[in-house]
Amino acid sequence: MIVSGPVRRPPLAVVLVAVSMLALGETAGAAMSQLRPQVQRYAAARIAANAPAHGFSGSAEYDDEVRDRAIFTAEAGLSFFHLHAEGVGLILFFASTLVACAVLWRCERVVLYLLLTLGGLFPLGYLAYGAAVLEVGRDAGIEVAERWILTPLGISAIAGLLGLLLSAARPRA
Amino acid sequence: MSEALPPTWRVPPWWVLLVGVLAIVCAELGGASMVRFKVELTRWARGAMLARPAVHGLVGVRDVDERILDEALVRFDAGLRLFHMHAEGMGLVIIATSMVAATVIRHAAARRAIIALLTTGGAGYPVGYLVWSALIPSHGLERAKTLAEWLIWVPFGSATIVALWCLAGTVAWSMLARRRA
Repeated sequence: MIVSGPVRRPPLAVVLVAVSMLALGETAGAAMSQLRPQVQRYAAARIAANAPAHGFSGSAEYDDEVRDRAIFTAEAGLSFFHLHAEGVGLILFFASTLVACAVLWRCERVVLYLLLTLGGLFPLGYLAYGAAVLEVGRDAGIEVAERWILTPLGISAIAGLLGLLLSAARPRA
Repeated sequence: MSEALPPTWRVPPWWVLLVGVLAIVCAELGGASMVRFKVELTRWARGAMLARPAVHGLVGVRDVDERILDEALVRFDAGLRLFHMHAEGMGLVIIATSMVAATVIRHAAARRAIIALLTTGGAGYPVGYLVWSALIPSHGLERAKTLAEWLIWVPFGSATIVALWCLAGTVAWSMLARRRA
């Protein structure tokens, strides 16, 4: 029988990001359900305030379609945020615990905590995605969020997980 | 708060872990049942809806009724899928967050309260999706949603949200206290 010793924990800052992400994810889920009309009204108001960015033509039929698509995309951003925050919060929690247990060198641990914590902020990119769609238009908003937030934070998460994998796979004395 | 936090995780009470694992097991069983009994479940829901035409606004015109029944069946199926997904996730959330609470919260009564909220909220919330699905055939789409919302989603979801923010606040407070010490 294998009996494990005490399981080391990651620094509190990492735990705080993981728990906050879970709390934000839960809150976003509740907001999506309970505040849906308010969210849609707010989105419609922001789209109206940024009409040129959305390329309104003055034709009611076309403009309605553009508005509906932008609102749908903004709501999708909130929905992705809910889903990813719950998952990434858990990944950060368990992966950083593995780092605390399996990575022997302090410097290496610090780098991995940093990469994983930055990756743990990845879901915030979807909040930015939803907001950017309303402010700068659907395609431009998606482009901004993907290029400047989702891609760098996603790469950070992948690098942290690969680093953990390599570190855990290294032969020990 | 003056006592140093341990450098290792503390295990939450065994019943909390049991509830977390049970939620994951139920989710897996739910997912498997959705696939294995899809035809039977759809047949049961459709039969129950046809037995209550007034509840679903069925008018006796095939084209109209089929559209209404299809929409209700899609929601019925969505409820089962959402139960599967949420129960898997919340099982893990219970295990992870109760470990954080067991390690970080030093005051015994507060620790017990937060762990109880995390566990009951996390385990109860996904059940709302099962209840929603089960009530659709007998109560209609809107009434089933309202019942599930006020009986399960709002109380259990609120418990989880409150407990998670309290936990996040406690972790932040512990960090500040360590920095001051």
